[in-house]
Amino acid sequence: MKIRFSIVGMLITLLTVAVAAIWAFPLYWTVVTTLKPEYEVVAPGVHLIPQAPTLDSYLYVFEHTIIEKWYINSIVTASATTFLVIAISAACGYAVSQLQFPGRRILFGIVVASFMVPIPALIISHFVLMNDFGLINTWAGIVLPQLMFPLPIATMVYRQFFDSIPKEFREAAVVDGANEFDVFLKIFVPMTWGVTVALAIYTFIVTWNNFFYPFLLTTSDTAMTVPVGITQVHDAFGVQYARNLAGAVLAALPVAAAYLIFQRRVTEAVMLSAGIKG
Amino acid sequence: MAERRSDTLSIVVFVAPLVVAYAVLLFYPIYKMVELSFTDAPLIGDGHWVGWRNYQRLLSDGLFIDSVFHTGYFVLLTVIPSTVLSLAISMMVVRLKGWLQSIVLACFFLPYILPSSVVTLLWAWMLDFQFGIAQYAIIWLFGAKVSVFKDPVWAMPMVALVTIWWTSGFNLLLFIAGLRNISPEIYDAASVDGAGRWRQFRDITWPLIWPVTVLVLTFQLILQLKIFDQVYLLTQGGPFNSTYVVVQYIYKQAFTLNHGGYGATVALFLFVIIATLSVVQLQVLRTRTVE
Amino acid sequence: MKLIKAIAVACSLCALSAVAQAKTQVVWWDFLSGGDGVRMKSLIQQFNTENPDIEIQPTTLEWGVPFYTKVQTGAAVGQGPDVMTYHLSRLPLGVSTGTLRPYTMDELKSVGLGADDYFPTDWDAAHVDGKLYAVPLDIHSIILYYNKDALKAAGLLGDDGLPKGLDGLDNFNAALKKLSGGKTQYGVSFASSDGATIWRIFYTLLNQQGGVFLKDDKIVAGDSTAKAEKATAAMADWIAKGFAPKLTEYPASIALFTSGKAAFHINGVWEVPTMADLAKNNKLGFEWGAIQIPTLFDQTATWADSHSFAIPDRKGNPITPEKLKAVLTVISWMNHHSLFWATAGHIPAFKPVTESDDFKKMQPNATYSTLAKTAVFDPQSKIAGVASPVYDAATNFILPAVNGQMAPADAIKQMQGELQNDLQ
Repeated sequence: MKIRFSIVGMLITLLTVAVAAIWAFPLYWTVVTTLKPEYEVVAPGVHLIPQAPTLDSYLYVFEHTIIEKWYINSIVTASATTFLVIAISAACGYAVSQLQFPGRRILFGIVVASFMVPIPALIISHFVLMNDFGLINTWAGIVLPQLMFPLPIATMVYRQFFDSIPKEFREAAVVDGANEFDVFLKIFVPMTWGVTVALAIYTFIVTWNNFFYPFLLTTSDTAMTVPVGITQVHDAFGVQYARNLAGAVLAALPVAAAYLIFQRRVTEAVMLSAGIKG
Repeated sequence: MAERRSDTLSIVVFVAPLVVAYAVLLFYPIYKMVELSFTDAPLIGDGHWVGWRNYQRLLSDGLFIDSVFHTGYFVLLTVIPSTVLSLAISMMVVRLKGWLQSIVLACFFLPYILPSSVVTLLWAWMLDFQFGIAQYAIIWLFGAKVSVFKDPVWAMPMVALVTIWWTSGFNLLLFIAGLRNISPEIYDAASVDGAGRWRQFRDITWPLIWPVTVLVLTFQLILQLKIFDQVYLLTQGGPFNSTYVVVQYIYKQAFTLNHGGYGATVALFLFVIIATLSVVQLQVLRTRTVE
Repeated sequence: MKLIKAIAVACSLCALSAVAQAKTQVVWWDFLSGGDGVRMKSLIQQFNTENPDIEIQPTTLEWGVPFYTKVQTGAAVGQGPDVMTYHLSRLPLGVSTGTLRPYTMDELKSVGLGADDYFPTDWDAAHVDGKLYAVPLDIHSIILYYNKDALKAAGLLGDDGLPKGLDGLDNFNAALKKLSGGKTQYGVSFASSDGATIWRIFYTLLNQQGGVFLKDDKIVAGDSTAKAEKATAAMADWIAKGFAPKLTEYPASIALFTSGKAAFHINGVWEVPTMADLAKNNKLGFEWGAIQIPTLFDQTATWADSHSFAIPDRKGNPITPEKLKAVLTVISWMNHHSLFWATAGHIPAFKPVTESDDFKKMQPNATYSTLAKTAVFDPQSKIAGVASPVYDAATNFILPAVNGQMAPADAIKQMQGELQNDLQ
């Protein structure tokens, strides 16, 4: 009985690993292609390992595109969005959970309802609005509309988190004479550390990856973010596979690294946003 | 007295940023969009009030109706297959332990971490007609190379394939969490009773994982209705408009053809559909978890 | 807090870049890639070296819809380049969306340019409602590239090295039949899965029958309907009979010719450098030439378009007089140096260059530049031109018909339906 199960078990495990390998193969193949010289990329036959590995494609991307500008734009806008989302949602989630004020339920109801709003459908209004403020092709112009993507969920997550803290906690702190801000910043915020880190990393990754909004809110290539820039600018590349893919790899590197380093946090954030405890 | 005032002040400080954000970035745009849909304004600038004309035009706009069907076709090709696939894979992954599980999980989840433009560049290369490595598989299965994104029959299914590869990782995590919540004792009891693997799945796993399945299905549904990136980057709506989807039509009308008013009408249509489905999702979820 | 900070940082960065510099910087957008792109880059470099007080900062965007959409939205929000390349065929569409800024004759005079410097048809096409919106750079068209060796073997080459016996559809088809299957697989190759290519050939064949595409807001009306169907059917015939490859991508269609598998190749003049470079490096394997598209029907006509320089009309942020002067200097310089641009296969729009001995000696340009006399431009309409409803319709209806996926009559009818709708 036991032996039979473990053979079947082993086979299934092997199958799982095989499927995972196939699933991840495009990633491997892409990286390998970027390390090959162009003539090897288009040579007939399949070479799973580069025979003359080179970093030429990457050098080309750095020399012939303004990817450095795009990186700065991506880092600034993703960081700003993350910071703003965390700050606003933590504050509001805290208030709805712990403080008493009229309209508290209505406010939270609106937040929950807003989760059902498809933000991309508002792109026209957002574009016009950012133009009215003169923010097209600026960091603020990209950051502001993007806020609305993660804000509802983050607020709900924080609210749920703060709800799980007994009321006595806050009452004790207030009785001690501390004002609201101190209580929030010095006591409650540190308690949220795990959740905050997870949400922050995840929000950063998701915001970095946005395409539709940065694509439409920038009309000049110096204002683009990395995911947008690599698809928009066509030099006399012709069909240069390795170089295009090198651009793609460079675009994905930061978020892939963030995931691999903080794998558990990202997983936690995904679970939180789906409302499941894992 | 002083304490009360600081209370009000602090509440305002905590809550105001969100309220302001919502007012400026959500409610005002929604209002503007509705208003715009009744005009013939260009993207930037003013237009004239035209009443219901844009809405009437929607009903007879061939490309719009096509884009709705294409979006539906795409949803059909991605939502259920992705969910089923993720469930199957999750059952395989949950058996693993330790670092092996971490690596395997990373293999499936890493695509989800990538920007859409990277995913499409990657797959455009894999499926390249001249040099793509996936063409070998196509030749093996179908006998000849296919220029997949130029063929009206292949294009949408291939976009769907890319999308499934890209987003299944998310579903996978949810299913794994759900599976972990099922106590192993139930399975032990069942196998003691002589129930085989299939019986166990049908009678234990499937019903207990159902809430997660519903969550995943509806999440995928709402996500895929909003598709734009993959279509724009892989096929631009072609070939012969066979992959045109609703969000792309919004883009075409508002940004390419400069019809702000009409574009807003299309956007409003999508908005209402997705919002309605989201409400339905919430209700279904509520009833299911109550059970 | 962070928001205000972010805005402040953004503003100060803008201010920094606006600090007056000794050089006037001209932001330039184009859509030129391949042989065109290489040559334009070198022209820009040469300009920057020869003119130390002006610096062109070029950006190349993707040809077609992506380029024109970015230009349009950019202008609407007061952003965008100082000068850009623009297809003359698209001028009416560009003007109708308020994207372009008109030139005055005085502005042109200030850099020594005038109406007499350009060919009349081109000069006309650069005007909308009597105002000048673009300064032409070149006229480009489609031509017939041919494999001299293959034609000689089939007895289709004259003593002057030019093809013979191709005029008239029946003669042309007979020639294709001789050249298909055998050493050369296809009689002719063209990018049958590229809407722009299909449009160009279709429009040529339509005009060779004296057909009219758009007049009085009607699409191929009257006897032009039958002519449109005939043009589509002729192309579909080539593919159906195996004379031309089906659903072939642009680079692949060129590869078929350069590898000797297609005896003829129909494409734009811009691929001349491709052939010339391959021949120079002994990578072609045969002698090549190019002639004007033969007259397959009653009249001689060839589709043509024109690259030109336009200035976007940026709302609330118009071009400064200083930048304008720099832009005009650039345009004038480019025109005067368009002999080098002609090595990309184009025919310069600037008469002093085209009428010079240097150009008259340039091959293969000299062989086909006769087409300029019978060139037909796209209809002047805001639904026509590159990245327009007309190009879309060609992709969605004529292309499938040519590839045997739709009946020509059906395709023309559906095209009429869709474009008529867009005209409203």
